[in-house]
Amino acid sequence: MTVVPAQQTGGGGGSSGLYDVLELVLDRGLVIDAFVRVSLVGIEILKIDIRVVVASVDTYLRFAEACNRLDLESGPNKSPGLPDVVGQVTESGARGKSKGALSGAAETISDAFRQARDEGGEQETESRPRPRKKTAAARRREEEQE
Amino acid sequence: MSTYVYGITAKSHPAFSEDLGGVGDPPRPVRILEQGELAAVVSDAPEGLRPKRRDLLAHQTVLAEAGAAGPVLPMRFGSVAPDDDTVTGVLAERADHYKERLRALEGKVEYNVKAVHQEEAVLHRVMSENPEIRALTEANRQAGGGSYEQRLQLGEMVVAAVKAREAEDAVEVQRALEPVAAAVSVGPESTGWLVNVSFLVDRDAAEPFLTEVENVRKSHPHIELRVNGPLPPYSFVEPGPAEPAGSTAGPDAAQE
Repeated sequence: MTVVPAQQTGGGGGSSGLYDVLELVLDRGLVIDAFVRVSLVGIEILKIDIRVVVASVDTYLRFAEACNRLDLESGPNKSPGLPDVVGQVTESGARGKSKGALSGAAETISDAFRQARDEGGEQETESRPRPRKKTAAARRREEEQE
Repeated sequence: MSTYVYGITAKSHPAFSEDLGGVGDPPRPVRILEQGELAAVVSDAPEGLRPKRRDLLAHQTVLAEAGAAGPVLPMRFGSVAPDDDTVTGVLAERADHYKERLRALEGKVEYNVKAVHQEEAVLHRVMSENPEIRALTEANRQAGGGSYEQRLQLGEMVVAAVKAREAEDAVEVQRALEPVAAAVSVGPESTGWLVNVSFLVDRDAAEPFLTEVENVRKSHPHIELRVNGPLPPYSFVEPGPAEPAGSTAGPDAAQE
């Protein structure tokens, strides 16, 4: 996550952080009154899901627990003075540990996207499955009949 | 057949590959509608189009492709016109406005920066800055974790300190990157991230911008910065109230 494909050029939409870009594609961009917009019902739910409530009893307890587990001795030395150390820790697989109320939900969704994409890039999550093995020509004919 | 609109470009815009697929399954072929000096990137709109993953990606990919060849005004996902004539009609009606926006955005791309805290690192930082939290943690630890109330009290203090850190870090990240961008657009707030800001950057000045991003990463190791770009300038198509005064990508900001 720390290493971001920031230099990525256009065209390879599939490999960029879709979740991060999603918000831009859905919420920004030009709107023209004379056009209608498709329903975004499913997406609204997704957007609400990332709004983790930070100030809750559960969060307080979880943070208290996290503080208890922290190594206080290395604390003041570790941060903010030694970025390299922190950097290494983050990159060397402590990611699972370090995600929580602050970043967990967002990552879960972005992970879900990535996973689903990896599993079958073009597959849709919605119902109404259409056999994907059909030839393009056959499908095109079908579309024309619709 | 209704028409799905991806974006608006200049007519002089070079055509892109024939087989570019748009939204729908199978992907509808992307076409260009010309009107005066402008052109709209469109395809037929599939029946029952929904914001599915592959359609969002198709929208994004078409715009990335179009944007690689010249400035494009990206439409928000899901814009559907009743027919081609409506699209060309809109282009004709607001030609001057769109031409002005295309000039303003020429050679510019959007980088969206989102940031979240690395939980463990930010806890270290908050503790090192706050003796009270340190003392309370130590007391709780010696009491075998502390009572429910004590843990609640500690947690509440920590959350408040982390939130204060979030606010400070958000300002610091934006301040660090602003000078290397042509314009800034602050995105909607969410607890999913502590920073969500889009920067309009000269395509040629992407290097200094990304260098500065790296500098922020180094100086703020407790922040996880996610940078996405170059993107079509979604957040800069209209000078809007969401942008701080004086930082819009108006004609003044454009280097012509």
